[in-house]
Amino acid sequence: MIDEPATRSIADLAPALKAGTLSSVDLVDDALARIAALDGSLESFVCLAADAHDQAIAADKDLRSGRWRGPLHGIPVAVKDNYLTADMPTRAGTEARGIDFPRRDSAVVAKLRAAGAIIVGKTRMHEFAWGNVTPPTKNPWDRTRVPGGSSGGSGAAVAARLVPVAMGSDTGGSIRIPASLCGTVGIKPTFGRVSRAGIVPHSWSLDHAGPLSYTVADSAHVLNAISGRDPADPGSRAAAAPDFASAIGQPITALTVGVCRNHFFDRNQADVDAAIENAIRFYAQAGAMILELELPLLAYGLGAIFAIELSSSTAYHAKSLERGVVAGFTDDVRLLVEMGRLVTGPDYLKAEQLRTALIADIAKVFADVDVILGPTSPLTAWPIGEWTVRVGAEDESVLAASWRLTYPWNLAGLPAISLPCGFDRQGLPIGLQLAARPFDELTVIRAADFYERAHDWKDRRPSV
Amino acid sequence: MSDATLDAEKLAEAIGFDLEPSRRVAVLAAFADIGKEIRKLRALDLADVHPAVVFSPLIVEGDHD
Repeated sequence: MIDEPATRSIADLAPALKAGTLSSVDLVDDALARIAALDGSLESFVCLAADAHDQAIAADKDLRSGRWRGPLHGIPVAVKDNYLTADMPTRAGTEARGIDFPRRDSAVVAKLRAAGAIIVGKTRMHEFAWGNVTPPTKNPWDRTRVPGGSSGGSGAAVAARLVPVAMGSDTGGSIRIPASLCGTVGIKPTFGRVSRAGIVPHSWSLDHAGPLSYTVADSAHVLNAISGRDPADPGSRAAAAPDFASAIGQPITALTVGVCRNHFFDRNQADVDAAIENAIRFYAQAGAMILELELPLLAYGLGAIFAIELSSSTAYHAKSLERGVVAGFTDDVRLLVEMGRLVTGPDYLKAEQLRTALIADIAKVFADVDVILGPTSPLTAWPIGEWTVRVGAEDESVLAASWRLTYPWNLAGLPAISLPCGFDRQGLPIGLQLAARPFDELTVIRAADFYERAHDWKDRRPSV
Repeated sequence: MSDATLDAEKLAEAIGFDLEPSRRVAVLAAFADIGKEIRKLRALDLADVHPAVVFSPLIVEGDHD
């Protein structure tokens, strides 16, 4: 018997489920009990699966019959509210009338179910994945602060240990920002690695799907279940999918860690900088080679991602604009959707040219380094309702500050992970970000897991 | 009025940005800082760089719901 099983990692739970010393029913019921007890104040879930308990009964039946489907079999998993589901409604965070989504499983949900996962519910997100605060969800470390976003419900649910895994989507940082602010692991795989079919689009060439979890190993297990070519997603690639869990517990022999000193260290809170410098020292002392570098084109990145994201979002919502449905959107999202018409065709294409040039520059860097290390977010979780934050010596809008260090990896489509690397003086989590070559999630996972095993950050929990 | 705001005003006029006046003012004001970043991008000479968009004459498969 495992106490509070929903608070344990997949690495702990899977062997017990397989051996029959833990049942999926006990595990899922524990997750549902924690959600019932704790989520009233966190507001991380928008919907629970009415048949979660029955799904667990079916999983136990399979497990007892020896039909083990892998490490996710019997594990409760939550999905962000922009993943279509057959058994629960999808709202993509909007309450606007005239917006409806089909009742069917997205590709990722179908793969999770095939791997034996129990989809227990859907997590709150900022409307249409625009923005990075996810109201009204609270950060479990301090309920007066935001969880980050737009996968903020997933971040809060995992941080509060309601479920071991929650799926997110990431267009400019929406998996990694809440992972950083809530003190969880979050991985955005390479563009094309995981199908987005059945995920409500935000920006077609920037959107990625990926998990948030307690540990690096747990995210690796989820990637194993959800990766692979899917013709239903035009961005999907037929890249070979290795066993991502094979990178767990490996040494970092001959690892070269790049530290990009421009952009990623221009303007961060002092405690964030200190935690990252500690992480750099850790890798150096563990035998990694540290190589400092610069990527000057990142100075143009914000204009590029805005041009692409605004254009795409406005194109996606064209019908809603025409029919006046946007009047039911929240004010900030309506503003952004209307604003996209001010991005010209040449601006959009210039942004796509910038991406090509940036990808080429980053490829040159990756000839010499294996991962690029830096902070995930320049700041820790900020108070709910604040639109301007103090970062270093300057006041900055939260929108500009919070995704500054994550969107480069969306523009380039590269795999990037956030994992906890300390706490600031207010007790709020700080995230370490590692990125690697295209389709080299193995190196990201190996380097992140090596750091995680040497520290106890993952064992610290918010007082919920 | 900044260059970015002036640009946005001209563009809004040219494309027939048909929002009610109060919304138009709000959208243009919110676009001012973003417009500055996009203007920075315009100054970059990337004439010889192919955009990261690839045309294909084949039918694009996909999720059309």
